[in-house]
Amino acid sequence: MEQSNQTSVNISQIACHDCDLLQKVPQLRVGQTANCLRCNAFLFKNQKNSVDRSLAFAITGLILYIISNMFPLLSLRALGTTQDETLISTSISLFKADMPLLSIVVLFTTVIFPATTLLGTIFILIQVKRDTFNDYTAPLFRFLRSTDTWGMLEIFMLALLVAMVKLGDVAEVIFGTSLYAFCLLILSLTMLSHSLNPHDVWSKLRRDITQ
Amino acid sequence: MTPAITAKAITARDAGFISCHFCSTLSKVPKGTNLKKSELICPCCKSTIHSRKPNSINRTWALLIAAIILYIPANTLPIMTFTLWGDGQPDTIISGVIHLMDGGMWPLALLIFVASIFIPVLKLIILMLLMISVQTKARWKPQDRTALYRVTEFVGRWSMVDVFVIGILVSLVQFGNSANVTPGLGSLSFAAVVILTMFAARAFDPRLIWDVLETETNVDNTANTKTALSNEDDKQMVKP
Ligand SMILES: [Zn+2]
Ligand SMILES: [Zn+2]
Repeated sequence: MEQSNQTSVNISQIACHDCDLLQKVPQLRVGQTANCLRCNAFLFKNQKNSVDRSLAFAITGLILYIISNMFPLLSLRALGTTQDETLISTSISLFKADMPLLSIVVLFTTVIFPATTLLGTIFILIQVKRDTFNDYTAPLFRFLRSTDTWGMLEIFMLALLVAMVKLGDVAEVIFGTSLYAFCLLILSLTMLSHSLNPHDVWSKLRRDITQ
Repeated sequence: MTPAITAKAITARDAGFISCHFCSTLSKVPKGTNLKKSELICPCCKSTIHSRKPNSINRTWALLIAAIILYIPANTLPIMTFTLWGDGQPDTIISGVIHLMDGGMWPLALLIFVASIFIPVLKLIILMLLMISVQTKARWKPQDRTALYRVTEFVGRWSMVDVFVIGILVSLVQFGNSANVTPGLGSLSFAAVVILTMFAARAFDPRLIWDVLETETNVDNTANTKTALSNEDDKQMVKP
């Protein structure tokens, strides 16, 4: 395949990702969002201190992620013994139970992608703050955007609740030390995805190539 | 959103631009480029750009059919076996929900039912209907169909909750021979169904819903229409 780089860029307009309608990029005031004229798809938003706030949530999230991985989330006491559950033990147990594929799925969605999201976001946002980008910034951010849906810690949180209720009848369920950190981690990740504004990061990267 | 489909709805493709899937950078297609033969690279993020997702219909069908096939073992094979004092009780998705109802855990039964049965089936049906509507060039409510697509894209991942519950139970209930939980092949098939439908949703290109409308409205060429570029429209685009 022949590759071409001879493209010119249009920055005054935006095409809707859901219906391809070409429309003018509106100047947004703080707190506003731009939606597609035709299909109402969310296009982008303007948020106050988006970079600083996102960076704060990402760093908080990273610390909480480390704590969440250090101690048990839940423990089960029955028949005189106690079983601990940590974030990583779910995939390890599945691997030991002859379910390597399922174990990999759980490992990526609950351990690896959340970690790359937090680390990568911090890395990108520091670059945005210092206004210096390198060749890896754009591919890394692209990777982060496409793996965003595959980090499933909030769903894991719901699963923990379900497991607690299910087991609560038959055995004694003990909240682990990490459970509190884990709840706060979910909160940080949610706040991060609300405050992060990918459009701003891309605009900065785009400005570098249009100059 | 009152000003629905206008006759002069100009898309990026009509204007000779390609919008990058990742960074939304609008690149002008150089004159004389044969898009079938050459690949264009986004100048901003360096990904390959396409006006429409390549092979979207074939890839979506392939993933959907694979998901439908795997949906059968996902529901017939046990997702896990709970063994108590050597007495094993295998559970499928449906029998798991029924046991929860028998145990009086109604909210939990409802949650698992919605996440493991309702959402996957609904997602498969919606994606198939969307595909059929695109292939038959339906003009029916494009806005609603796009909204439906966005919903499937958003809720699909929550079906993974049951897979995680199984993982947690397997790692928590390990008391030797007296009580333990082992995962069944049903759980793997179910995880595969969820992942395949997530990929299917991603392979589907919602712009195909609108493509037929554009051509038809362009032929129509009705007077007194709004273009997307007027100032008046900009005001409508902005939501406080
Ligand atoms: Zn749109
Ligand atoms: Zn790009």
